[in-house]
Amino acid sequence: METYEVFRRSGHKEPFEHAGAVIAPDPDMALMMAKECFVRRREGDHLWVVKRADIHSFKDESILEIAADKSYRFASAYRDVIQKREKALVRAQELEQKT
Amino acid sequence: MSDNAALVALLTALADDELILGHRHSEWTGHAPHIEEDVAFSSIAQDEIGHAGAYYSLIAKLTDQATDQIALGREPSDYRNAVLCEQPNGNWAFTLARHWLYDHADDIRLAALESSSHEELSAIATKLRREERYHLLHADSWVQRISSGPVEGRARLIDAMTEAFTDAMGLFEPIELEEAAVKEGWLPVPSAEMKARFVERTTTALDDLGLPTEVRAIDDRAAEFVASSSGDLIENAAAGEGPSPLPIAHGLGGRKGRHSPDFEILWTEMTSTYQENPGATW
Repeated sequence: METYEVFRRSGHKEPFEHAGAVIAPDPDMALMMAKECFVRRREGDHLWVVKRADIHSFKDESILEIAADKSYRFASAYRDVIQKREKALVRAQELEQKT
Repeated sequence: MSDNAALVALLTALADDELILGHRHSEWTGHAPHIEEDVAFSSIAQDEIGHAGAYYSLIAKLTDQATDQIALGREPSDYRNAVLCEQPNGNWAFTLARHWLYDHADDIRLAALESSSHEELSAIATKLRREERYHLLHADSWVQRISSGPVEGRARLIDAMTEAFTDAMGLFEPIELEEAAVKEGWLPVPSAEMKARFVERTTTALDDLGLPTEVRAIDDRAAEFVASSSGDLIENAAAGEGPSPLPIAHGLGGRKGRHSPDFEILWTEMTSTYQENPGATW
């Protein structure tokens, strides 16, 4: 018997999401079990099963931590750009009026 | 000269290496061999520039200047990055060989700096080293695959590695006022000792990968230099004191502010936005 991880899609344009796991002797049986366990109330229109042994992950998950400042990757870091732009426009208008 | 001069000199060399290599790396954005790698390598470029920012912020605090002014407001001869970092990207093989050599060198350097007597520098080293682990993983993964892959890629990597390896020695050219920085414990391991660790580590790794460890001999002394790990001859020659001054291709001079003509081009582009309006905040 093998453990299969089950991924379910809730609608045509939705991503597959992890739903749980089943224990089965082969992929076809795993799909059957997964249907009964995870799509019994119309939770999805598509199912994947993946042998758990075929899933790869980092041995040390701490490599995913962000060590240094990455604020520039977030839109919130640029919030003041709008104010700066407005101020610059005012300055530009003032200059134009002077000349 | 303040009491901090040796510390500032050390931080400047560290920061400039990261900024200039980060800038070179960023030139691959939109051009890397495939889209996932384009994103991955651009992220590494951002990381390196971020690391430069961490060092520049500390310099800014010590010298009461603005970070941007230090990073982008200096003249080319004020930069103390190793010449290796400013070399044009050339092809992907050279970029990769340099990335691999640089990040192993940086790991050795950060490991040493973690025990710096300067608390803030030591804290930065610990923080950056966590991120550099991923850079090493990235560089090692590529080099391992290409060195055991088809012959064309392997041949290109060998060419690039022998070329970049010579220049990598410039990363361990003593920094200005190094004696004082070592004496204060700011730089706990002298450059010469870090170079020995670097040569040992990289030649062992290249042996394990089945890649040759000789360097491209621009002249005979270049080969002797790495084989014996004795930099004296090259040092004198690069300073114009030897019988025949060696070309800058040996990768030395950067720590004294002597750069290749390519650096001028990089500097002009890198600082162009800053020069438009030096006081602006972004």
